[in-house]
Amino acid sequence: MKEELFVSGRAIPNIDPYLNIWHWSIPVYLFLGGLAAGLLFFAGLYSILGKEKEMPTTVKWATFLAPAALVIGLLCLFIDLKHKLYFWQLYTTIRLQSPMSWGAWVLMLITPLSFLWAGSYVRELKPSWKWTFPLLNKVEVWVAAHRKGLAWAMVILSVILGIYTGILLSAFNARPLWNTSLLGPLFLVSGLSSGVATILWMSKNHAERVLLSKIDLILIGIELFLIIHLFMGFLASNAVQVEAAQLFLGGEFTVFFWVFVVILGLVFPAILEILELRGIKIPVVIPALMVLIGGLIFRFIMVEAGQITRYLY
Amino acid sequence: MATKEIQDRSRTYLNPYAAGIWLGLVLLMTFYITGRGLGASGSIKTAVASTVNTIAPKHAQQSHYLSQFITADENPMNNWLTFEVIGVLAGALISGALAGRLKLKVEHSPNITSQRRLVFATLGGLAFGIGSQFGRGCTSGAALSGMASLAAGGFIAMLSIFGAAYAFAYFFRKNWI
Repeated sequence: MKEELFVSGRAIPNIDPYLNIWHWSIPVYLFLGGLAAGLLFFAGLYSILGKEKEMPTTVKWATFLAPAALVIGLLCLFIDLKHKLYFWQLYTTIRLQSPMSWGAWVLMLITPLSFLWAGSYVRELKPSWKWTFPLLNKVEVWVAAHRKGLAWAMVILSVILGIYTGILLSAFNARPLWNTSLLGPLFLVSGLSSGVATILWMSKNHAERVLLSKIDLILIGIELFLIIHLFMGFLASNAVQVEAAQLFLGGEFTVFFWVFVVILGLVFPAILEILELRGIKIPVVIPALMVLIGGLIFRFIMVEAGQITRYLY
Repeated sequence: MATKEIQDRSRTYLNPYAAGIWLGLVLLMTFYITGRGLGASGSIKTAVASTVNTIAPKHAQQSHYLSQFITADENPMNNWLTFEVIGVLAGALISGALAGRLKLKVEHSPNITSQRRLVFATLGGLAFGIGSQFGRGCTSGAALSGMASLAAGGFIAMLSIFGAAYAFAYFFRKNWI
């Protein structure tokens, strides 16, 4: 291992004056983590509410994507690690004040849970399916018997997962753009919206789609509200945060953020969903895909822009 | 809104004269808001320039034509026309949905196949794209916006585009009638 010794806090390659250490894998992970949180939250919620029959895609079929999203997301995190073989050390401790520790443990719990949940519906999707190991039949019976409890666990863990994707950044207090407590709720709502958009895309049940469209509209409304408050907070704060906000209000991220995230990723899909609720035929793939792409671009922008905001001038 | 009502409207189009007035008002608003006119071919031009500049930057910088649109500090795509075209697509989508015409299909005369229509549309589009660069603009940028500002070039562009279309329509008429 090559060791580096810093004798000054200034002019450190890739750290000062600008952070340049997080690349594509982090925003992709944040997106997939949020997406999985959204899928599992609504699956758990509607299972608790006893709506398996009315909302089959939400409770059953869309959850098949969650384990895949989590595994690919974790792979992205792993790729980002400098010392890959030390990752297990996260699991030698529990630190309540560290978002990294919360994330590591939540992922450790929710990933197997998502496999159990989706796995328990495989036979319903494909009745001829036979588990290779007899033990898995027992697991399937156990999951079915404890579904309510597991659904509660899934709802709670998915909220923690969704919030943590934002807190991971906001706990980084040396970067003014990230250092706001609104980032946690904003990433959670954005993740829930991505999840709803995915379920909406997959669902063939009219009643389910109408309900999901309404939920998505509410989530988009909350997201816009949080974005406005995020900028109000920055502009009412100290000079470094005002400067961080300027990146989006005339600076280099202005166009990308307002055109691709806010207009094409939130407002426009919301208009299409409103039209669809009023009975006008719109292929659901268009608003769903726009919400998903908007969510992905949002995370890329936040990670990228956050790294170039700083305290020292 | 009842679906049947929308289907009934799917074959009714806006009165062309009313549409012309609307288009004129859109142009007026464009001048008022952005300080310049509408355009369509310009966004394709910058898309081509930035694509070539990304894939083969040396070639783009050596090319007399493409190098005009490439500057070191700014992305050529960061241009009002790019966003105008995104807006056109978004608006067309809503308009098509409201009229009940939002489906994937190739519109063509019953006398020809979809394939023939697509081939001719592509060839025509290519020819028009090249022509618009010789003429420094297309129907929107040169003719419409140019004439609105009473530029002589705008009137010449309009007469040339529609004059040439009249002259050549005879040879391609079988594709439609």
